[in-house]
Formats: sequence, C-alpha cells, structure tokens
Amino acid sequence: MNKKPTKKMESRSLNAFLIFCVALAILIGNLFWIQIIKGEEYRLKAERNQLSDTVIAANRGTIYDSNMKIIAQSASAWLVYINPSRITTDEQKQLLINGFVDIFELDRETVEKKVNREKSGYEKIIGQIDNEKKAQLQEYLSNHKDQKLGTIVGIDPDTKRYYPLGTFASTIIGFTGSEDIGRSGLELKYNNELTGEAGRRITAKNALAGDMPNDYETTYDARQGYSLVLTIDEVIQYFLEQQLAQAVTETQAKYAYGIVMDVKTGAILGMSTMPDYDLNSPYKIHSDAVIKEIEEMEDENEKAQAETNALYSQWRNRTVTDSYEPGSTFKLFVAAAALEEGIMTTDTTYNCTSRIKVAEYYQNCFNHKAHGTQTVAEALPNSCNTFFITMGQKMGAVTFSKYFEAFGFTERTGIDLPSEAKPVAGKTYYEAENMGIAELSSASFGQTFQISPIQMITAVSAFGNGGKLMRPYIVSKILDEDGNIVSETEPYVKRQVVSEKTADIMTELMEQVVVWGTAKNAYVAGYHVAGKTGTSEKIGANAADQTVASFVGFAPANNPEIAVFIALDEPQYYATGGSGAAPVAGRIFENILAYLNIDPEYTDEEISQMTVSAPNLIGESTDNVKSKATGFTVKIIGEGTNVVSQTPAAGQTMPKGGVIVVYTDDTTEKQKAVVPDLTGLTLTEVNRVAANSGFNIKVAGTTQGAGQILSYKQSVAKDSTAETGTIITVYFRSSEIISD
Amino acid sequence: MATRTKKMKKKNTLFNTFFSQGSMDIPFLIILMTIVTIGLIMLFSASYTYSYYNRGSSTQIFSRQLIFAVIGIVLMFAISKIRYEYLRLVALIAFGGSLFFLVLVLLLPEYKPGFKRWIDLGFTTFQPSEIAKIGLIMILALLLERNYKGVTGKIPSEMTLCKKITEFSNGKFVIYKSLTSVICYGMIIVLFAGLVYLEHHVSGTILMLALGVTMLWLGEVRGGWFAVGTILVAIAAIVLILKPEILQEYAGERIRAWVDKDYSPMLHRWQTNNSLFAIGSGGFLGAGLGQSKQKHLYVSEPQNDFIFSIVCEELGFVGATAIIILFAILVYRGIKIGMNAKDRFGALLSMGIVFQVGIQVALNIGVVSDLLPNTGISLPFFSAGGTSLIILLCEMGMVLSVSRSARKKG
Repeated sequence: MNKKPTKKMESRSLNAFLIFCVALAILIGNLFWIQIIKGEEYRLKAERNQLSDTVIAANRGTIYDSNMKIIAQSASAWLVYINPSRITTDEQKQLLINGFVDIFELDRETVEKKVNREKSGYEKIIGQIDNEKKAQLQEYLSNHKDQKLGTIVGIDPDTKRYYPLGTFASTIIGFTGSEDIGRSGLELKYNNELTGEAGRRITAKNALAGDMPNDYETTYDARQGYSLVLTIDEVIQYFLEQQLAQAVTETQAKYAYGIVMDVKTGAILGMSTMPDYDLNSPYKIHSDAVIKEIEEMEDENEKAQAETNALYSQWRNRTVTDSYEPGSTFKLFVAAAALEEGIMTTDTTYNCTSRIKVAEYYQNCFNHKAHGTQTVAEALPNSCNTFFITMGQKMGAVTFSKYFEAFGFTERTGIDLPSEAKPVAGKTYYEAENMGIAELSSASFGQTFQISPIQMITAVSAFGNGGKLMRPYIVSKILDEDGNIVSETEPYVKRQVVSEKTADIMTELMEQVVVWGTAKNAYVAGYHVAGKTGTSEKIGANAADQTVASFVGFAPANNPEIAVFIALDEPQYYATGGSGAAPVAGRIFENILAYLNIDPEYTDEEISQMTVSAPNLIGESTDNVKSKATGFTVKIIGEGTNVVSQTPAAGQTMPKGGVIVVYTDDTTEKQKAVVPDLTGLTLTEVNRVAANSGFNIKVAGTTQGAGQILSYKQSVAKDSTAETGTIITVYFRSSEIISD
Repeated sequence: MATRTKKMKKKNTLFNTFFSQGSMDIPFLIILMTIVTIGLIMLFSASYTYSYYNRGSSTQIFSRQLIFAVIGIVLMFAISKIRYEYLRLVALIAFGGSLFFLVLVLLLPEYKPGFKRWIDLGFTTFQPSEIAKIGLIMILALLLERNYKGVTGKIPSEMTLCKKITEFSNGKFVIYKSLTSVICYGMIIVLFAGLVYLEHHVSGTILMLALGVTMLWLGEVRGGWFAVGTILVAIAAIVLILKPEILQEYAGERIRAWVDKDYSPMLHRWQTNNSLFAIGSGGFLGAGLGQSKQKHLYVSEPQNDFIFSIVCEELGFVGATAIIILFAILVYRGIKIGMNAKDRFGALLSMGIVFQVGIQVALNIGVVSDLLPNTGISLPFFSAGGTSLIILLCEMGMVLSVSRSARKKG
C-alpha cells in the first residue's frame, strides 16, 4: 500500500496551486486598487472619522480713534448648534424646540425645520449669544439630563462685535454680519486685516470619541485680527455729529453730511452723515420719522421694500458714496484756473449787468441783481454767476476740463472707504469735446456735473496746502495684537494742481468770502476762516425746487490746519449755503480750533466788543472791591467783610463792563435769576437784556457785514435759572437771505 | 557510511518505530517561523488599543497569544518527530473527536448569543470547527490512500445494493467503486459542513466544503465530478446573492451589505468600511509599524478577523503583498513536501494542511478587502486565538513530520 504520490497527483496539486495563485493575484490587484488608486480617497474618509477639528476663533481687531479710544471691539460670545442625526426620540425633539424658542426667542418654525433635518450632522441654532444665555441653555440641558440632550447640543466659542459709542461715526465704521464678516464701512473695507486667521486644533479621536495618544494632536495658533487706528478724532467727530444733527432739526433737511479734514495731510478727522444709526443694532431703523412713515404704509410689499430702502439709506456714508451738483463752491476752481492760466489777475474787472447771453438765451445772476463792475475779490464773495461764466468762456472747454481733471474730479480720491462714487465721463460730467458753450457756462458756476463731497473737500484743501492735492485717508495705523505697527499710512501728495502763489491768492479770496461775503455766517471771532458757500438745484423727479446747500472752507487762513465741508440735502429752512450750511461750519470751526489749541487773534473791534479776563476779587475787602474791578459792575452780596467767592470766576473771559457778583460769606445763597430769551435780537439788544437780568454775554458768530445781524442761539436755555453773573454765549448770524 | 547508518537505525528499533530520524524541511520551517513572528508582531500592534479598552491592559491579548505560540511551537517540534505513519491512527481519533465536539457544541449553551461556535474551557474557548478541519483532512487523506484503486480504477462496487443492480440488469449497469466512494466521501464532507453550518458558522461551512473538494481533487477523484461541482457552486452563489434572505438572518444581511455598498443599516458595513479606510490609508509604503489610526477602535476587533486591514495600513501595499507571497511560498513548499512524501497519505496530509492555510488566507483577505461578503474567518498565524494557533502549529508539525520521512529532499 505505501504507494508514493503519482504524477497525476503532482499535476493536480500544481493545478490547485495555480488556482490559489490566481486568487492571490486577484487579492493583490484589489489591494493595489484600494491602496494605491483609491488610497487618498479612503485616507481622507478615515481622517474624517478619526479627526476632531476644532476651530480656534481669531478675535476681530479693534478699531480706535486717533486718541486710542475704542470705537469697535470684539468680545467672546457663544454659538449653539445641534447634531440632528443624534436625535432618537420625539420627546428630545420637543424639548429642544421648546428650549431654543424659550431661551433665544427664536422663530418656532425655523427651529423645527432645523431639528427635523435628521440626516444633517450640524445645524447652527444661534450665534453671538452672551454668557448669560449660554448659562440658561446649560441649565436647561442639565434639567433634562435623562433625555441626554447634551449629546445633541453643542456650544462653541464665537465672537460678538460691540460698538461702545453706539451711533458714533456709524456711517464710516460700518458693522459686521452674523459670521463676523464686515458688511459696510471700514469693517468691510478692512475686513481682511481685521479678521485675522482662525486657528485649528486637530486631535485624533478613537471610535469612542476619546482622544488617541497625544502625538496625534496638532495645533495651529490663531492669528488675532489686526487693529485699526483711525485719523478720526473722537472730539472733532463729536462736534461734527452734534452740529449736523442740530442742522437736520433746524433746517428739516433730509440729510446733513460733513467732513473735517487735515488740510496738510488729507487725514480725515471727522466724517458723518445724519441721520445715522446705532452700530449695535444696524437692522433697526434709527430715524423715528422714517419708522412712522413706514408704519403708515398699507401695502405689505411696499412696507417691506421701504424698510429695506430705509436700512440701506441709513448705512450710507453719503460723503463718499453719493455725488451732488456743487453749485457756487465750484467757482473757486474756475477762479483758480483763470488765475493760474493768466486769463485774469486780481485786478481784472468785469461789469455784471445781472444777466449774460449764452448761446441763444440769457443766464441770470442770482436775484437778477446787478453786481456792477467788480474784480474777482468782489465777484467771489458776491458769488457772481456772470463773472464766472465769462471766465469759463474765456478759458474754454479744454482748459476747463484740464483743471477739472487736475483737481481730481474725474477720478476717485482713493480714500480707504468702500463704495466711493466713481466719476463717469459723459455721465457725471462732460468731457471737453462734448462740452458746448451752454454746458461750459453752466459748469462754470458748478452745475451740469456731479462730484462727491470727499472730492470737494480734498480739492479745496489744496488751496490751503500750497496747491498740493492730497489723497484723503482715514486709517493711520494698522496694529497687530501686541500693538506693533504693521503698517502706517504716510500722507500722499497726488500732484501740484496750482502754483503756491495761486493757492495763496485763493486763500485770501476765500477769507474775504467769510469776512463779508456769502459765507459770513461761518465767521469765527479771533480766527481767519476761508470758505465758500454753494446752493445747487437738485435734478430729478422727486427733487423739484429742492436744493443742496453747502459750505466748504478751511482755517486758520494764515496757516491752514483744518478743512470743513458741510452740506444740507433738501433743507426746508435756511435753504442756502450761506444761511444754512455756513453757520454750522462756523460753530464747528469755533469748537475745533479751540480744541486744537490754536490761539485766537482778535481784531481790535472784536476785543472792544467782548472779552477781558475777570479780575480775581477773592480775599479783597468789600471796600477795595470796586477799585480793583474798575470797568465792571460789581454786585456785593452777603454780610462778611471780605470776598469769598465770585461769578464769573477769576480769569474767565467776559465782556468789558460786565457784571461780577461777589459773595462775602458762605452762608448766603447764591443769587440766581431766570435766563431771558436772547434770540432774535441785535447785539445791542442782547447786551441790554442780559445786563438787566444780571448775566454776562459772550458773542459768537458774525457780528459785522452787510444785512441785519441777529442772534439765533444761546448757550443757556431761556427760562432756566442760573447764577447771576454767569456768562451766556450768544450766537449771531446774518438774517439776510444769502444768495450764493 | 550509508550502511552503517542503516544498521544504527535498525539497532534502535523501538525508538525508530515512533520517531523519525530524518531531517525536516528547513525552508518550510524558516518561512513558517517568519510568518509566525510577523503574525505575533502585527497582533501586538493591532491589539493594544482594543486590549487596553476591553481587557484593561494593552499587552493582555498579545501575551496570551505569545504563550500559546510557544506551547504550539513546542508541540509542533514534538509532533514533527513522530513518524507520521502513526498519524493514521490519529486520523480515526480526530474524525471521531471532531464529530463528537461538533455535536457537543450544538447541545451546550450558547457562548455568544446567537452563535454556537465556541466551547468554553474556562481559561480559553475553543472552536470544534478548528479540530474538524484537520479531522476532515486526515480522514480523507486516509480514505483516499486506502481506496486509491477504487477511486481511480474501474473496480465494481462490492456493496450488496450495487451487486444486486448489476445482477438485475444482467451486467448492463455496473456500479463502480469510484462512484460509491465519491458519494461516501461527499457525505462525510457534507456531514462536517452541515454540522458547522448548524453552528451558524457560514465561513466555517464554506471552508469545510472547499477543503473537502480540494482533498478529493488531490486524491485524484475523476475530473467530471468537479465540473458538476463547479456548476452547482456557481448556481448556489448566484441564488444566495440574489436571494440572501434564504440564509440565516445574520448571514443574509452580510451578503446584502456586500452587494449593496451603501447598505443602510450602517452597522453591517461599518466593519468593512473601516477596514477599507484602514487599507486605503496604508498607501504604498504604509503608515509604519504601530502607526495605524484605524485600529483605535474603528476597525472592530482589529486583532481578530480584520487584522490584515491593520497590516495593510501599517505596512502598506508592499508589506501586505510580501506577506501574501510568504503564504504562497509556504503553500508551495507544503505541496513540494507532499510530492516528496514517501506515501500517498503523507502527500495528501501535507498538501491538505497547507491548502487549508492557503484557502483561509485567501478567504480572509477577500473579506477584509470587500471582495467577499463579511464572514467570520481568521487569518492563520495572525489572528488572535490560542486554540486555533496551537492546532495550526500542530498541523505544521505534521507537515514537518512528513518532510522528515521524505523520499528525496529539496
């Protein structure tokens, strides 16, 4: 029996081995397919299983004003999400829906939709919630521990943007959307810089969601967003906003907007559009009037549309995004071009007969007033249309267009704010070859084309800056999280538009406009203000008989530092540049120049009118008081022998011959009186009424020049009580209807 | 010199009766030990996380396996010394024992709910099907050797029924032994496979059938039978793939999960998908030994049936292919030993054993790489399992024993 294996068995075993080898080859081929061809795909799938990728949020940078005061800041908040695929029971669903609706006041339907997306692994419920809401949610979850809601609900770190100053500079700062992405203003323009880079922590998780050994953990640190330091000065911005808001109330203008700029650098010190909105609630319409208007609408669609429009409208930074017909302020550039090109000198005269023939018809000067024979030094303060039409015609369309371009009206200024209005040839202005005599003539007094406020103030600033046109900017420095400077904006000279000489002449001419011309309401005692007003007719169906009243200028004229632009859009009262915009600018100049510690230089007349320093009478005996305070009216109150206090305090500026009330003991009550109404009076009348009531007067605004000068505003409200001797600032302006 | 050696042998008759003096096949041993070593290393790498979470110590599974491996290797060398002629006796014991345990396991309470594969020995568990495999090989090797002429030749069957049929048909119908033997062996195979199937052990059933068919093929059963067999298997496979529900529920689900790669109860594909993720993650060169991430509880029980996916992830395509080739060489060397065996029993035993290993390897890798439905089949020398490893090493001892009495070496 011990037969050895046969040949047949050998061949059969080799056959079997061959089949085995074929099977192995198929297996190897399959491994090749899985590992080499599809390897990457499987590896990624495996990683998705294994890795837990946690985002480390990067804080959005802070926005500071030029004094490092915080305007916008991010604080940590929380984001709540759910993993609907982990929901197993209807009870869990109901608990989640009720919880979210109660705690976060969310729309029930929306929450239900999210909870019911069973296949989804991630549904965001709400972001940017504060610690308090987070604690409420956590308490709710732990109250329902038996339902294991904790496995479904997740809470991740999030950030929320806070604007501590609310409405402050809202139209330039802008706001962020839900994903912490800038939606408008600087938040949008500098979104990349502010955002930073989110970090990630990648940890490998095993199937039980425990961490694998540590060597699988990789952390990429977050780079915090850069911070912006603005050229905006909180104090100046505040003056500007206050005055613009007041102007809206006073003139019933649809909007009022203004810019304050550093003449020498182009840095924006203040910029505002009124009415504005609260950055902390950008989706709430801020203007009560608009809310009322919308509420009165019947049609729901119309209502919704109106709401959207109102929101977009309140977010607009009209000083940059909008353009307007400048009107008479543009005469400055015609004058400068004519001087620069030698078309006229300061001695060139022209006789204004109230109208001028242009092509087939006549162009009138305002109010059909004949200004008579005048040089530019009279034509500009008079804002004489015919004079500038003549100058425009003399220089011709080509030269006109050359200067139009040189002053930067055909290009964006390049300010670092979003959506700057873009001039379009043939649409917002005429090119030389398409400019006929009629267009040229109208353009010479600032009609038939549109420019933006930022272009206007930038161009006018060139006169105060030796003819150099600057590029305006609003961000001075970008800082990293440790406060190191990442980048710093250097003032940039775009070009020399006109010679220094022409610029100086223009400054002198502009000062005359403020001293006795159409801009006299912008006069500030003690300072040389240069400026020009303009009133332009708005074009468009809804704007019949509506105007834009504007002022542009700078101060001090002898060493220009700040430029101010003010425009009132569709004012209903004081509807010209001279009567509406100029006084606003005057008050702003007054505040800012004092704030910037620029010493006033009063004229003799001004000095005679007002201020001397109140002498120090404290400690003096009642007998000596009168002799110490010669030229003042002294009122002695009290039983004591020596003066213990006085109103006004020593050193305060007060009118010559004003009242000083001195008290000789501490027990006697301070003497008080009811403040009289000091508005609508002439300077003499104001002085008389004030003296009768025992108050002192400080005069502000213009008190000289043609027309009737009347007071219109007082610093202490009428009918209120104040200590006798208190200094009340009274503002004056020309009540004459100023045509410019 | 040669004569003297012969004389020496004859002198120690008693010793020589039981123990073989020949040298064993060294290449086979080297390849085997290489596979066992790699298997142990990979087991450690694959098991430590699972072991840590489920057994309290990262080395618990590995150290058990190591102890069993040492015992197994000692047993292997001991068995290799036994003259394999005596294994003919063992064949009968193994056959009887296999049937005993296969029936016993069905009567004992379930070790895992729904599965009757295991007998709990207290310190370890053991699967009767592991013994049944070698039992089947041995009994078929014995029968095919004894009945060689009957199977291959044209000898009329001596069974009474067959003789009667010949008588009644006046000699027209002669029923040969070749037919009766095949029916008889087939019944043995079906008996084994059937008992394993009752354990709810589909893969064991398939293995048993494949092993039986291989033995019959090597035993030179007429080729026609295999053609018929192939057609039957193909039909069965098609029916099962199209109508998985006729199988026991869990097996049917697995086939469904294999056919439909997006089969929705994720659990049924979880294991396979994570196995594919692991294999795919390995790429060409692998993540490096110990660097598998999928073993961190994603591949369930990575130390058992799915250990090869961790091998692929850590050693890459290169390593996986090398291991497959090592197995192929092992099988080839086993066949070679069989060819050189001094008798047919030795040849069938050796070849049967290495083909058992080979079939298990092929089925296991096929499952792991999603070429075959997910059936529980372990990877020889790699998968954790003490009794399985000991039995495997004992089988290797038998192959070595056959090699010691080879007619010629090499």
